[in-house]
Amino acid sequence: MAAMEVDPVNNHLQRKQAHYVSLDENFMIHKETYRGQQYSQIYFARLELMRTLIYSLLPNWKPHLPVRRVLGLEGGKECILVGTLYKDMKLKPSILDEYSKERSATPLVKPHNFTHPDDYLVLEDESGRVKLRGTVLSPSVYVTGNVVALHGKETGAGDYLVEDILEAGLPPQLELPYKSGWLCKNRLNVDCTGEDKYVVFVSGLNVGSNSSNPLQFQLFVDHITGHLGDEKVQSIAAQIVQVVIAGNSVEVPRGLLNGQNLASKDQSRLSEPIKEVDILLTQIAAGIPLDIMPGPNDPANFSLPQQPLHRCLFPGSAAYNTFRSCTNPHSFDLDNVRFLGTSGQNIDDLEKYSEANDKLAFLERTLRWRHLAPTAPNTLGCYPFTDKDPFLMESCPHVYFIGNQDRYETRLIKEYKEVDGKLFSAGSEGQVVRLICIPRFSETGTAVVLKFFLVIVVELEKSRMPCSQFWDPVQLITT
Amino acid sequence: METLGILDEIQALVCDKLQVVSYKWLSRNFLVSSNAAKSCSFFYIRLLQQFSEKHGSELEVVYSVSGWLKNNPSVYHIRLVSRPKLSEAKGDFDDNCSVYSVQACIPKDPAALWNAEFVQAEELFKQPPTVVNCLRDNRFCGVINSFVKRNPEGTSVSTAFLQAKSEGAPAPFRNNSAHQTDTIPLPQHKKIQQSSPNISLQSPNVVKDIKSESHGAGARDQGSKPSADKEKDPELPATKKIKGTSGTGGSLASMWGRASIKSKPISAPTEISDCAPNSVATAEAQIFAREAVENENSDDDDGENVKFKRASNGEGSRKRRVVFDFSDDEDECKDAVSLASPDPPKSKSSINPQESSKSALLQKNNLNFVEQNKDDLMVKEETNIESKKLFTKESVVSNDKESGISSSDKIESRIPQNDAVMKGEVINVAPNSPKRKKVFKTCIDERGREVTEVVWEGDEAEKKPDSSTIKKSDNGTVNTIVNRPSTAKKSPAIGGTAPSNPTGKAGNKKAGNKDPKQGNIMSFFKK
Repeated sequence: MAAMEVDPVNNHLQRKQAHYVSLDENFMIHKETYRGQQYSQIYFARLELMRTLIYSLLPNWKPHLPVRRVLGLEGGKECILVGTLYKDMKLKPSILDEYSKERSATPLVKPHNFTHPDDYLVLEDESGRVKLRGTVLSPSVYVTGNVVALHGKETGAGDYLVEDILEAGLPPQLELPYKSGWLCKNRLNVDCTGEDKYVVFVSGLNVGSNSSNPLQFQLFVDHITGHLGDEKVQSIAAQIVQVVIAGNSVEVPRGLLNGQNLASKDQSRLSEPIKEVDILLTQIAAGIPLDIMPGPNDPANFSLPQQPLHRCLFPGSAAYNTFRSCTNPHSFDLDNVRFLGTSGQNIDDLEKYSEANDKLAFLERTLRWRHLAPTAPNTLGCYPFTDKDPFLMESCPHVYFIGNQDRYETRLIKEYKEVDGKLFSAGSEGQVVRLICIPRFSETGTAVVLKFFLVIVVELEKSRMPCSQFWDPVQLITT
Repeated sequence: METLGILDEIQALVCDKLQVVSYKWLSRNFLVSSNAAKSCSFFYIRLLQQFSEKHGSELEVVYSVSGWLKNNPSVYHIRLVSRPKLSEAKGDFDDNCSVYSVQACIPKDPAALWNAEFVQAEELFKQPPTVVNCLRDNRFCGVINSFVKRNPEGTSVSTAFLQAKSEGAPAPFRNNSAHQTDTIPLPQHKKIQQSSPNISLQSPNVVKDIKSESHGAGARDQGSKPSADKEKDPELPATKKIKGTSGTGGSLASMWGRASIKSKPISAPTEISDCAPNSVATAEAQIFAREAVENENSDDDDGENVKFKRASNGEGSRKRRVVFDFSDDEDECKDAVSLASPDPPKSKSSINPQESSKSALLQKNNLNFVEQNKDDLMVKEETNIESKKLFTKESVVSNDKESGISSSDKIESRIPQNDAVMKGEVINVAPNSPKRKKVFKTCIDERGREVTEVVWEGDEAEKKPDSSTIKKSDNGTVNTIVNRPSTAKKSPAIGGTAPSNPTGKAGNKKAGNKDPKQGNIMSFFKK
């Protein structure tokens, strides 16, 4: 077993390090100014960028068909249309209803599903709209804001009968650093021991709420920093190189925020949860690099992309160089492994307006649509960007996580590409993504520990095959 | 033996004071009081172990059991169990257990186990940031991380990042992108500026922060706002100087928005504290950049430019000109809609006197000033304005006295109304440069709304339209919040979107510092 670095003098273990590069630049709002613009610009940017992308994919799909704009449709002739989908939903709440409800006390809106069998899809581009028909396209799968290519023809009724659909597909992925191994009697031997590094994901601490148990979080902190347990346990803890807190760290007592002036004792009640979080984060930041993302309940802006929580909220922990306040969505590279994730708003919104078997299916769909939050700005609050859409995924992450979910779920997506008759699942076109749903810590006491290390690749006759399954995350449960 | 002493103390705590003694509590407590040879938590855990063995029968012990679950190897479980359940728990795990805490009896609420430890942590946390205590340096941890650096001054850490980057030094720790480090301190700066006018309390801190950041700020400025930076840098020393002179008593000097003068090089503020009462000339000649540290406000997403008027205590003696300035992006962002609602124009005058005697004094002085210098001011204002670039939004407040500030103020900011009001009261004392009389004008605007404006006599009102429309200037409406000067330039006044109550505009400017020429042009279009 490769030795951990043990400091002989004090018998302490050294923590592993990993090279971190933040990619949040895209999500920061720097020079954006609000000039009263509407959301049309972000939709236009999205359409333009994705259309260019899809046009590049069309030759591989159906090169024989002409590409038309909506107004250029000719009845009865097959063609391809590229545009943004709009889903007309009967049950979608309208702003007027919300306004009238707002007058009363604001309970947290229980998200439920607004889909209805009568929903239908409409395709829109700069020239016009056309209603979509056909059994291929299932309205319950798609949401407003997807950009897709459709193969079909115009019917007599003026609708577009869809025969096939092309989504953007997974974006290209950077190749993972790999380590080669050797086959020996059909068993793979790779010397990768001692190189394991772990990333810990936790979300939904909800400090300040009734459901959060501070003892659980303290146990968690003690474990990952290495206070708890004997040497063996601590050696595991020493391999943790990064902690990511994916939103909802604090729950501010909402009852106080009713527009009235706060008495001084109420003011301290308001800030107590944040202070508690700061103390706990100080304990983490003193030992491990920490990324904290804002979530729907955190004191940050509402619309996506949420800007980093302000450092003044964490006077104790912000003093450390390991403390990093990040945007939501958050993207970073750790030892050249790309991570991307949100605090859950994008997927929760998808869940309200479409249907799928489980949350991971939504995650996979957003990857295939190459867009983190297709429902923004339709039903998900979003900043009215004028010249870009920051949620477009330009490169595929290796690890894709969302926070604040009900339970822990994970799946590995492997995109196969056929080359020379052999299937490959690793490489520049064969993407591999680990999807993770991080449960709420205050309810489940569960954090997710992901081991990431080099992909094991075996070189065998000039072809590469990925060998073992990698990166099964581990649940860390405290009770 | 130390150990024996500690054991006795534990006994006392647990039995007599009924406290929950956890291993972490113990380690933190006894480090402080004794120089234990070992700083590792193992030592204290073993100590608790010894203790529990010795006195176990009288007390309750809680163990922490952790390890991989036997029936689900992908789950690592950490659990706290009391002794009766220990063996059962051990069976579930294939790993170890250790003593977590010792107490007289198991509390009903598990969180009570944590309480004593948290109280201790809180106390350690509250110690002044420069003290390095066992909470902050994590010394009891079994795993040490040599790359962790802590800087009690916060911003310096990021500055260090920046410098390391610029020097090309490979940082051993995380390399954030430059922007990230840039932006993190920036909001902090902004925060400083926007903090409430609790001046006296804050000034020392702010000054300190500013100083520590100033060198960094300089570097950052270069990167972030090229336009403003050039002017800013020379201003920095001026700013510092201001702070130096303003010294004590509530120098709000540190809370600023942007560098105000872009067009004029900022001359060193002639001293603030002693402008002569009729240093109209001085006032005119000097436009102080009362900016605080940062100009990087424009980086912020809501680009707050709050200028606080220096609400000094010794107003009477100080004659300063408060310059308010606005977003650096003016040229580019003329159309940017400010979402702050301006203060109600008339309320200012009424509020101020009620605010405090100080305000009353100022108000009085203001009126005096108005009477005396009206014409002079107008003249001056014109010259002042001409000398500035059209699009700078500074509002030059003439003032020999800082008291001579009319209540309608030229604060331009994009902060929400409440803040503006709050600060406005303090700030409102800042003199407006031209002292003219204000009158109320009621009119029906293009959109059919009745608009009551506070207008400078004979001058254009500048109105800031509501957030949904582009601002147009208007007949000298003086709202407390100043609008971007660019609005002055907009030609036709769109209907008065300024109802007598502040709408969401950033503020109209006062008549006054704006270019009187512009004003005249406006009147051409105006009703």
